[in-house]
Order: sequence, then C-alpha cells, then structure tokens
Amino acid sequence: MTTAPVARRALSLLSLSAQAPPIQVPQPKRRFGRSREGSLKERLQGIAFALPAIAVLCLFVIYPAYYTVRLAFYKSDFLFSFTNWVGLDNFKDLFEDKAFFDVSEFPPSGAVFNNVRWVIIYISLCLILGLALAVLTIRVRYESFIKSIIFIPMAISATAVAVIWLLVYSPNADIGTVNAVINAFGGNPVSWLGKESTVNYAIIVAYVWASTGFAMVVLSAALKGIPTEILEAARVDGAGEWSIFRRIMLPMLSLPISVVTVWLFINVIKVFDIIYVMTAGGPGTSSRVIAYTMFTETFSGNPGRGAAVAVIMLVLTVPVMILNIRRFKSERVMT
Amino acid sequence: MKRRSWLVLLAVALTAIVASFAATGYGGKAKPAAKSAGTIEVLSLWGGSEKDAFIKVTTAFTQKTGIKVEYTTARDFVPVIRTRLAAGNPPEVAIIPRPGVLSDLAKQGAVKTLSSMGLTNAYMKARYGPAWIKLGTVGGKLYGVAAKANSKSVVWYRPDQFKKYKVKPAKTWAQLLTLTKTLKAKGATPWAAGAKDSWTLTDWFENVYARTAGPTKYQGLFSGKVKFTDPSVGRAIRQMLQILNNKYLAGGVQGALGTAFVDGIGRVFGAGAKAQLYFEGGFVGGIALQQVNTKLKAGVTINSFPFPTINPKYDSPMVGGGDLAAAFKDNADVRAFLQYVSSAEAGRIWVSTGAIVSPNKQVKKTAYPNLLVRAEAAQVAGAKVFLFDGSDLLPGSLADDWGALLQNALQKPGTINSLLSDYQKKAAKEF
Amino acid sequence: MATRVEVPALTRPRTLSERLVRIVTRSPVHIALIIIAAIWLVPTVALLITSVRERSDTLSSGWWHVFESHLTLSNYSEVLRTAGMGHAFLNSLYITLPSTLMPLIFGALAAYAFAWTRFPFRDTTFLFIVALMVVPVQTAFVPLLKFFRENGGLNTEFYGIWLAHTAFGLPLAIFLFRNFFITLPKDLIEAARMDGASEFAIFRRVVIPLSVPALASFGIFQFLWVWNDLLMALIFVSDPSKQPMTVKITQLLSTYAQEFHILAAGGFLLMIVPLIVFFALQRYFVQGLLAGSVKS
Repeated sequence: MTTAPVARRALSLLSLSAQAPPIQVPQPKRRFGRSREGSLKERLQGIAFALPAIAVLCLFVIYPAYYTVRLAFYKSDFLFSFTNWVGLDNFKDLFEDKAFFDVSEFPPSGAVFNNVRWVIIYISLCLILGLALAVLTIRVRYESFIKSIIFIPMAISATAVAVIWLLVYSPNADIGTVNAVINAFGGNPVSWLGKESTVNYAIIVAYVWASTGFAMVVLSAALKGIPTEILEAARVDGAGEWSIFRRIMLPMLSLPISVVTVWLFINVIKVFDIIYVMTAGGPGTSSRVIAYTMFTETFSGNPGRGAAVAVIMLVLTVPVMILNIRRFKSERVMT
Repeated sequence: MKRRSWLVLLAVALTAIVASFAATGYGGKAKPAAKSAGTIEVLSLWGGSEKDAFIKVTTAFTQKTGIKVEYTTARDFVPVIRTRLAAGNPPEVAIIPRPGVLSDLAKQGAVKTLSSMGLTNAYMKARYGPAWIKLGTVGGKLYGVAAKANSKSVVWYRPDQFKKYKVKPAKTWAQLLTLTKTLKAKGATPWAAGAKDSWTLTDWFENVYARTAGPTKYQGLFSGKVKFTDPSVGRAIRQMLQILNNKYLAGGVQGALGTAFVDGIGRVFGAGAKAQLYFEGGFVGGIALQQVNTKLKAGVTINSFPFPTINPKYDSPMVGGGDLAAAFKDNADVRAFLQYVSSAEAGRIWVSTGAIVSPNKQVKKTAYPNLLVRAEAAQVAGAKVFLFDGSDLLPGSLADDWGALLQNALQKPGTINSLLSDYQKKAAKEF
Repeated sequence: MATRVEVPALTRPRTLSERLVRIVTRSPVHIALIIIAAIWLVPTVALLITSVRERSDTLSSGWWHVFESHLTLSNYSEVLRTAGMGHAFLNSLYITLPSTLMPLIFGALAAYAFAWTRFPFRDTTFLFIVALMVVPVQTAFVPLLKFFRENGGLNTEFYGIWLAHTAFGLPLAIFLFRNFFITLPKDLIEAARMDGASEFAIFRRVVIPLSVPALASFGIFQFLWVWNDLLMALIFVSDPSKQPMTVKITQLLSTYAQEFHILAAGGFLLMIVPLIVFFALQRYFVQGLLAGSVKS
C-alpha cells in the first residue's frame, strides 16, 4: 500500500469536507423524492449510463465480498472452493494464535496489536508533523519548495519506500545512514529491522516519512482558508502566536484533521506492501499486521482462515463507512 | 468545444484499443500462448550460483531434445505456487525442497502422479534408494522425483585461520564448545549465522535434536507422534543456545537475526570477513566458491567438518535435504523433462558444477569436481542414519511457524516452554 | 486566492533594521524548516547516489563518501537487461494504462448519471457506492482469483488485473466526479436539454470539456496507485513474464540480498515515472486535492 492511495483518499475526503454549497443559481427546495421525477427517457438514459459501473461493482466487489464471508466458515483448499465446513473454528484459531492475538502477557502482542501500534503512532506522527509543517511553511516565501520536498515521497511506491529505508536502516555502520550517525556519536550500531523491540517503530517511521506530505498539504490548504481578519483581530488584541494557534486555528481545523485521521486509519488497516518487502513480517512474526496475516494464511494452505482475517478487516472498516455516509448526507451536497 | 471533446474521446478510445492490442499481442509472445511450441516452465527457489548450476542442466536438456526450459525463481515459493494454482496458471514443473508441501498439494490433487506420466516404479527403483522413493510418495503413489540432495550436517571453517589460531576441527560437542571459547579468547568472532532465514535455525535444531534424542524420536517429532512439548525438544533448543548467543555470534543475536543466509556465508568467507565458523548444508561450499568470494580455494581457505556428536549413543546421524521435482501439468515435454532429470547424464552435469550431491544411484563419484562436494557425497552415501530435514516434512504452515518459533527462542530464551506449548496446540490440529 | 497568515503589505519592513529584526525573529522557523527538509531528502538521495556507485564501493562505504568514488551507470544497464527491469517497465505500463482509463470512463459516465439525471433509487445507490470506497481488496481477491480462473483463464493475461483495479477504483471515481459535476452550472445543462440534446450529447459536449481538471486529477491518482501497487500484482499477475516493476524488485531483493547498488538502481527506475508524472502535472494534482474542499 503506498502513499498514492492515501492521496486518493485525500481527494475524496476533501470533497467530503466541502463546506461551501455548490456555486450555482439558487435551487427550489429539494425533496428526496425528486429522483422519481424526470421523463422516462431521462430515467432510462440515466440507468444506462450508470449500469456498466454498477455491473462491474456488483461482479467484482460485492459478490466477492459475500463469497469471502462465506469462505471464512470453511477450511478450503488450493482452489478456494467451499470444502470442509468448520463453522467458527477459523475465527477461534485466529484469536488463539499468539502470532495474531496475544493477551497472555502485558503488553499484548500479535498482528492485531501491531495494527493498534500503527494506529496510535503513525496517525499521531503524521498529524503532528503535517500540522507543524503546515503552520511553519505558511510563513516563508519558499513555501512551495519545501512542501514539494515533503510531498515527493507520496508519489513513490511503498515498495520503493521499503528499498530506500532498507538502505537507511542497514545494520552495517559503513552503509546504513542511521547507524553511521550513531557510530559517529560513539554508539553501537543497532539492527533496527532485526530486533523485535524496534522493528515496528522503524517501519512506522518509514511510512510516516512517506505519508506526512498528505497531511501537510490538506492542513495547509485548510489553514489558508482561515480568514485573516480573525487572526488580525486576535493579534491586535494582544494574543501571542501560540495562543492563536491553540484557540483559533486548531478548532477551525478540527474537521480537516478528523477527515485526515479517518483516511490514515484506513491506510493502517490495509498496510501490507511495505512490511512484505522490508521484513516479511519478521523477525519471527513480530512485524506482522492483519493484512499480512491474511496473505500468509491464504497462501500457505489455509484460505478459510485467510478469509476470516479478511472478514475482520471488513468489520473494522464499517465504522468508517457509516461515518462517511453520515457526513456526506449532512453536507446536503445533493441536487 | 465540440471538436475538443471529440478529440478527447478519440484519444481515449485509441489508447484503450492500442493498449489492449499491445497487451494481447504481447501476451501472445509470452509463454502461456506459445507454450505448445515446446517450452516448459520450471519453478524453484534457487538464485545466484545454485540457479546457474541448474541452468547448465536445462541447457543440456534443450540441446538434446529441442524443448526450451524457462526457469523462474521464487523467493516465497509456497505462496507463489499456491497463487498460481489458484489462478489457474501453474508452472509445468516445480522443484520443491519440502516434501511436506508436496504432500499437501498431492493430497488435494494438484500434482500428477509419476506413474501416469510414464515413470514406473521399476524405473524409479533403479535410480533411487528406498529413502528417496519414500520421500516422494504420498498415499502410496509416487509424485516427486528426487532431483538433488544435500547434507545438512556440515560445519564450515577457514583452515588458514585455524592454523593461525592453532585450533582444530571438533569431533564432539564438548570440543566444539572449547573451540568456540578458545577462538573467542584469542579475539576472533567464533560464529556467524544467517538467522534472518529461519530455516537455518531449523537445521541447527534438527542436528542437535537427532544427536541428543535419537533418530526414532526425531522421526516421531516431525510426524506428529512425539509432542513438541516433550522435554527433549526444549533441551535441544537450550543446547543450541550454548553457541547461538550474544557472546559467540557475529553481531550478537540481533545481528544474526538481521543477516540472511547468503550474507551469513559472507560473514565468514567474504573478503575481509571476521567470523570463523558457519553451520549449514553442503551447498554452502558451492555458493561460497562461486558467488560470495571467488578467490576461495577449497581445502586452503574453505573446508568443512561433519557436525560433531553430542551423545555418543546416537553417534552422527546425517540430516539431509533434498528437492523433489513434481509436475502440475502432463504433456510430452514435461515427461521428457522428468525423464531427463532422473537420468545419470543430468546428474553428472549437475554435480560437476559443485553445487549439489545427486541422490541418483547411477551417478558416479568421479563426477564430483572438488574435495568439498566429494566429502559431502561421501557423507550422504556413507551415512548410517539418514534423516530428512524435519521442518521440510511438516505440513501446512507449521514449517514457517517452527522457524519463527526458533527465532523467538533465540531472542527470549526464557519463553521457550510457553512458545513450545502454543506451537504444540497448532501442530495437534495439523497432524 | 489563498490567504496568507502573514503580515499584510502595510507593515512590510522598509528599513534595514526592520528587516534584520524580522529575520532574527523568523530564523527559528527557517532553521527548523531547512533541517526538516534536509532530513526528508536524505533517504531518497542516499538511494540515488547508491545507484550510481560501483559494487565494491557500496559494500564498503556509505553514500556520503560519494565524492571519493567514481560514478557509473553500469548498475542501471545490469538491472535493465539482466534482471529484466526493462521488460517489467513495459509490463507496468501495460497494466497501468487500461486500469486508469477504464475507471475514468465508466466512472465519469456513472457520475453524470448520479449528478444530472433522475432515476429511481439514485441516491441510495450513490450512498452505497460511497460506502464501498473503503472496502479493502483483501475481501475480494480470493474469489476474484477463482472467478478469473474459471472464466476464460483471465489470470494468464492482463484482463484479470485490469478488471480488479477498475472495480476498486470505480467508487472513488464516481464519488469525485459526481461531486464535481454537480458544481457545473445548471443552466447550461437545462438549456441543452431544452434544445433536445440526448443525455449522451450533454455529457460529451457540456460536462466533459468543463471537467478536465477533475478527470485529470483522478487520472493521475489512479495512475500512481496502479503503477505503485504490489499486492494486486502479486496475486493477479502470477505469470512471471508479465510481472510489473514492483514485483520484480521484490524478486531482486531475494536474489541480490544486500547488493544495494543493484537494488538502488531498480528502486530508482520504479520511482522515475511517478516522479515525472507528479512534477509535470503537479498543477492538476494540487488543484484536484483542493477541489470542492476547504473555502479558499
């Protein structure tokens, strides 16, 4: 999963956060039933236009989703057919598998909790850095130059990000940038990707590097939307920059921030590529995440269990679906 | 306005048409459509020098029969094979180092039986000993041709460095420990390990276990009859840790876990290498000589000794690995290829590269090119007890999980017992 | 235009002393930004430099020793020829172009229907599509693999992955285009209708020409998304001769392990096209990001 999908979601989330009504001639008051009006010709043409897309979606998204949910109750085979009914056993096995879900000691570990770690650290870092950069860059003339630099990693593949950071994290102090810096300060090189206690954080940092650009651009645009009059008035009243930031900017940015958060969350649920390339879930199973578990289970002979993981992933996205729909409806962006 | 939108639509349509023409015309050049013209695809996990050795065999095959062979490397060959099977475009032949995987696939009907392809039992018996035939047999039917064999009970060292430190290869575990401590005391880094590739740790375990718990228990453990929670298992792991720890490993445990198998070889045999001893299979010799450091001289700067005994009662059973060639499709080209792979000629060519030992009875000892592989071949042939690599026999995902368990044990020795009991719960379901 | 959180022109510093004061008070900001930007560039620069160094150099010294080593393009030629990255580049192209065009076309058509025509259940269906935007591909790829296998061996050609990418790109396309289309002036469309134009004519002559920015930005996003994708390619393009660059690099990683000079060259080749697309079309990219969004 790369930063480009994060950017795609940037597109959509920004549209979602539309605050201004569409620029057009005032409309008569809209009633929901209006979609039933319109000539027969219009209706037929409308349906014809939408049909190809809807057909593709039904065939390739909706039907497969149903199939996967059903498959989660079987053991299945290399052809992914419905063989060997096992009921809820796949789910039971998953939660008893310490590599997936381990609450036997504190802190809890396993793929699920790696995703939790990602949620907390990745999202916070992206937001904090993005916000800080948005606030800082707005004050300098070379703003777009800096923003381009930060934004570049967004365009490249998660696979390329992984290769880049494999070089940076190399445990050989002669080659790896991080360890060379540590060496220069007299420390000992650390195998960042080979150590259970550091590997997740190392990968998260790499992905934050790649994703902050998105948060920054969105928040920067939002920041520029704050009317200067309000800020000037506050300054005239004698408020300091920090207090202006905390009391005026942050509250006005709360919508964009929440929208960025939601899409970063989706990113966390789906993260796979960078882990597959950097560590293959290792050392051992310590950097696995849910999407990775789904892949391994499906392709080492347990498609049923893989489907169960996919179901869990789907369930996790449901709150976001509901949020999106609610937000969209409340925007009243409908003709 | 009108013209522009027409142009846009036209451009879009043209691109789409060109793209699809290009793609299908392109696809026509690639294998699936052109396969009928005498090409087969062989998939395995070898890269580097091991792959080059195999290519020599396929080149000879093409010269002899005119059938082309396309070789595909797959790092994660299990997911790749399964993905392609599910997608409906498997390779014609796959050479699989894990009988356990072959068994899974054969049981589900993905693999063709050898007898249905013209390789009769008599044909196979004339070429392979009973141990190798048993390995390729699932449910009474033969599915796999043993293509190559390797000993996995070999310790590699640098004779010139040993001379410098005035130490000798070890015959017993106690001697090995002393050797390790002496090297450490003299300022050298005793061991390197490629523990990032977890299968290297499983090989360590198998050798130690076979020598501490005996061959019968070994067989029992990897066939589900002995539980992983049996005290002998934990004991063997702890014994491994007498050497695989922060004191004696290059880079410590973390460094070893960050080092892949080939890089581990480089830690001992690469230019400017610092470590002294490396344990892995007989194939290390070929990789070291041809890939890692071409300046090495067999016998002078690189040599091996057999894995030492631990409990004199069990002497030195040889743990070995082998790769089985299995077919997912049946046609004349595939049959010709399998027949060639099981011929003495192919075996001779392959072993002459110094990369493998051939399990084929009909390959003569004189075909081996250097003393390293000759020693390995002698070990394979002369082994009183031959035990197949246990983790490769495990079904399903147990093999990978076992490697992961050992990696975890290396980092947290205190958790060995709980790791084993969790693993046993998983294993009980698969067996 | 964008408002700036900056001192308005009236109080721009005139005298030298005022300027100096401004620089001093602003310097923490400058310093912080320059440091952050420098750190941000390091990983990419490291890769670029490593890709032009000799093998022996990369194995023994870090990229910061660049001025002491001689540079070479041999890594690129090796990666392109021997490792097959050139072939993989073409594969990436063949996979990406249709996967971008199809959701664009189908999405725009459907979006027009949702925005400007009326038919039963229109809004409910649209809400459903909004919900589909976040469905992970993991819920679909197993059945899709089976479906493609059983229906014409679509996995042996590129059709499988084209369809999969199209399906997962459609919800976003429909959503974005629909939101853009409804901002178009209603009069124009009503007028065309009254002139007796068919819906398709309106679509083609009125809506599309006005929507180029939106089409372009989705096109760019989808292009980057597919070009950079690994997971779908791993699954739906299992034929080794058809694999795109992302998959090829993971294979390079296993064959060449720590030989970073090769990996760096491969990685950079993978990055070039997205970087070019990004820099050349940045205008559309940024416009799209802000389209219909925050008040400006």
